[in-house]
Amino acid sequence: MTPDRDDGIHAAEFVLGLLDPDTHAAAERRLSSDLGFAREVAAWRTHFAAFDDTADPVMPPEQLWRRIEAGMGTAVPTPPETPHGLLPRLWNSLGALRIAALSGVIATLALAVVTTVTVRHAQEVAARKPVYVAILVDDATRQAGAIVNAFANGRVEMIPLVDITVPAGRSLQVWTLWNREVGPRSVGLLDRARATSLDLERLPTTAADQLFEITLEPSGGSPTGRPTGPILYKGTTARTL
Amino acid sequence: MHPIAGFGSILEEVATASTGANDHREVGQEAMAAVLSSDQSALEAEVSAAIVRCAAGESSALRVIYDLEAARMVGVAIRILRRRDLAEEATHDAFMRIWRSARSYDPSRGSARAWIFTIVRNQALTILRDEGRFGTDEPADGDLPEPDSALSRLPESSALRHCLEQLDTGRRNAIVLAYVHGFSHGELAGRLGMPLGTIKSWIRRGLVSLQECLG
Repeated sequence: MTPDRDDGIHAAEFVLGLLDPDTHAAAERRLSSDLGFAREVAAWRTHFAAFDDTADPVMPPEQLWRRIEAGMGTAVPTPPETPHGLLPRLWNSLGALRIAALSGVIATLALAVVTTVTVRHAQEVAARKPVYVAILVDDATRQAGAIVNAFANGRVEMIPLVDITVPAGRSLQVWTLWNREVGPRSVGLLDRARATSLDLERLPTTAADQLFEITLEPSGGSPTGRPTGPILYKGTTARTL
Repeated sequence: MHPIAGFGSILEEVATASTGANDHREVGQEAMAAVLSSDQSALEAEVSAAIVRCAAGESSALRVIYDLEAARMVGVAIRILRRRDLAEEATHDAFMRIWRSARSYDPSRGSARAWIFTIVRNQALTILRDEGRFGTDEPADGDLPEPDSALSRLPESSALRHCLEQLDTGRRNAIVLAYVHGFSHGELAGRLGMPLGTIKSWIRRGLVSLQECLG
């Protein structure tokens, strides 16, 4: 048996859970240092994952979630003196503070956009207003994450509305799909959420119902030229009045 | 309001449409992707995005994963632990781990769903090895799991199913019981009535054939 093949079998036994505890722990450590071994393990996991979907779902009691929540430390820790009344409760609610902070950011951004348009382009508003706008939304939370504006002269820009967290070694990639036969095309690559021009010069003019999407990809962009990472925000263009 | 279809599902529709009559080899990867239902790729995208938000410290994202996958995770753990209370314990431990390790999730090293199911399986195996399978709650022999039932639930189109079906019955059963029901070498020897050495060799040879078949 070749060393390569031996490694592949070792990876499979690790995935099956057949290694004794010490060997298992050693294999676990090896994952972070040995890229080849990590790839073998990922391939076996992906193959065997098909079995996970064959399990009958068993609905856990709601109590299980309450225990998980308590363990996360998100259950608001009881302060020495619990304040009463709506305001102190809101002030002590992390969620409420986050919403307040986020609303502030969005309002500021919106104001900045409005101010910019008003002051800098007052005379040429008619000429410069976007012909199409897409609001990119997080499917799960329905939260708007970015706006795409397409102008009559072909210029297309993206303005983020939230500070999208980009883990180290990752990039945000913006895609558009105007033709299903051709598939999605990359139109922008960012290391962090910031307003940017999108590169659609070589693509046909932006039209109504054109899909835009932001995905999380390896640093430098998707290696396949197609979206591979999770979809963070997506939306389709609509014509402005 | 309907969520807008992502590129993934659109690609699948295209692939499905084009595989109808033509040469299947031409379509390759996209045809394989089309085998997955669009439901599954949507689920994968949702779970993946939720993990990214967990990494950013958004606790509501963990609840999203819980709503999408907790029941299936308990189901996976029950097959290994055969006790509902222990399976819920494993699921609890798995969610704690997902929350703490969300930052270490790397989309380039496999799917998001495979990541969370690996975690719940590992938690279940840890509990199993700690509790000892042959405790007082051991069900009668007649209740022992049947390897074929999980295999027959794999989609007909599944490469794993196709390749496992090529193996000798003993090798196939040993591998399925190990993954699906968490059997150790020793437990497999007891269950299948073979010496430990034979079981180890069945597994290794079975995995070698599987590796060649899966490519």
